Amino acid sequence: MKRSRTAALLIMGATPLALTSCSRETQTEGLYTSVEACVAQTNDSYNCQQAFDEAQRQAHTEAPRYASREDCVAAHGANACQARSDAGGHSYFMPLMTGFLIGQLMRGGQTVGLNGSPAFQDRAGNWQRPATPASGGVYRPGSLGTTAMAPIAAQPDRAPTVTRGGFGSRSAGSGG
Amino acid sequence: MRRVAIPPRANWRERAEHSGFRFHTIDGEPYWDESAYYAFTLRQIEQDIEAPTEELHAMALDLVGGIVASEEQLRRLDIPEPFWDWIARSWQARDAHLLGRMDLGYDGHGPAKLYEFNYDTPTSLFEAAFFQWQWLDDQQRDGRLPVAADQFNSIYESLVEALATIAPRLPRPIRFAALRDAVEDQGTSDYLRDCALQAGIECAALAIEDIGLSADGRYTDLDDTVIGTLFKLYPLEDLFREPFGRHLPDSGLRLVEPPWKAVLSNKGILPLLWEAHEGHPNLLPAYFDEETEPLPAGWVRKPLHSREGANVRIALPDGQRIETAGPYSGPAIRQAFHPLPQFDGRHALVGSWVVGDRACGIGVREDASPITRDGARFLPHAIVEAGTATLLA
Repeated sequence: MKRSRTAALLIMGATPLALTSCSRETQTEGLYTSVEACVAQTNDSYNCQQAFDEAQRQAHTEAPRYASREDCVAAHGANACQARSDAGGHSYFMPLMTGFLIGQLMRGGQTVGLNGSPAFQDRAGNWQRPATPASGGVYRPGSLGTTAMAPIAAQPDRAPTVTRGGFGSRSAGSGG
Repeated sequence: MRRVAIPPRANWRERAEHSGFRFHTIDGEPYWDESAYYAFTLRQIEQDIEAPTEELHAMALDLVGGIVASEEQLRRLDIPEPFWDWIARSWQARDAHLLGRMDLGYDGHGPAKLYEFNYDTPTSLFEAAFFQWQWLDDQQRDGRLPVAADQFNSIYESLVEALATIAPRLPRPIRFAALRDAVEDQGTSDYLRDCALQAGIECAALAIEDIGLSADGRYTDLDDTVIGTLFKLYPLEDLFREPFGRHLPDSGLRLVEPPWKAVLSNKGILPLLWEAHEGHPNLLPAYFDEETEPLPAGWVRKPLHSREGANVRIALPDGQRIETAGPYSGPAIRQAFHPLPQFDGRHALVGSWVVGDRACGIGVREDASPITRDGARFLPHAIVEAGTATLLA
């Protein structure tokens, strides 16, 4: 069959389906640059320290590895790279863990799990974490790159808008 | 490939209302037209459309790396210099692309010819992915089309799959934006957002005009939240040239379609493809047009950034000239004239969809004029084996 098996609409229909498909479990995530900053926000020194320790352990194995300092600096900036060597004595470079994430799994208002994981920054300062690159299916292998870093959603990103209306001067539709 | 008359569904307007299809009639003229459909054979779809679409897509993507690394090529494509590094970075990082449509000249015989790519702000998505799918389903239930009839249209499934694939790499929050009063653009953007929600992506809509700018050069929504990823149904080249555009490279904003698509949504890709693959059966000869001489007979002149068939000039092989109006000027290309096939006196154009890197469906547009304009009607299509369709229609 050359066509989709179904064709569903969620919000466009006149009688939209209720958004009930969301999972009952929700995951919240906090990003912190130090245990102290974490404690200041959460008042939970035990879990902040636990998450930090877990993140640091993971950083050793999960941080991206670069063959040269130049490659590492190109990806993460000049002051964020450290030399390491593996068990066989081969040296490589990896970025410093500059933050850590606390993931909190909630079910029915109760915290049912906590975990810590490392956060790194790219050279522009954007937060990212190791991730397995997507491939296969609708994308050709390598089409989405080989980089194994994903952006972090938990950015405390609020900044006051000073101006609007600088886009959209085109009067007609845009499509083609 | 045949044009086959068929009774429209008695309730099609109701079906359109119920699915939020608000632009089936534009300025009193029908846009959606189901008084006929185009019938293809499976062989035509798979060999003549699907396979060449994937090949042309791969050929175009293979050129991007070389173009974004070459000042000369970027200049030929008339891409403003302040955006060169940003575009190159977005390619090096392989910022995720989602979809595009290529327009093909195909009459059922011989190789389809590529007219152009609509790889930045493709429209007619909802009518191809959803409404023509529903049309086939309804016509089969009513017994007007055989149960064995099919359609080249896994656009919806491919979109949900692609969105779910790229979701983990998109900075949050995610917003979908189109021009506030462009009904067709809004409908297309809403459909994309619908698919994103089905892929589990939390997202909200925003008018392009409502995007704000913070003091530190970041783009915000109406809640003053910095936008992480913007799915924009608005031309990249217009974003570049408008007052807020100069902040794009340093804003940290992720765009879908990504900045590197500026290379492919540009008609300049057509001469570059011809340079790299001269003689390819699916390509028409194309060159950058220096306008040092009048357009010779048998050639078509298109501005680099023209959309919806605007500002196209044709010198027909017999010397007759046709020109369309529009707002576009600037550098242009010339492409060998290749007439659209006519069915019952109407010119038909095949729009072939690519989601991610997969060719996954088509939509047929029909125009009384030999240039397909934004008023061209959308007709559904079906895959039927020769003979069966006319008997049942």
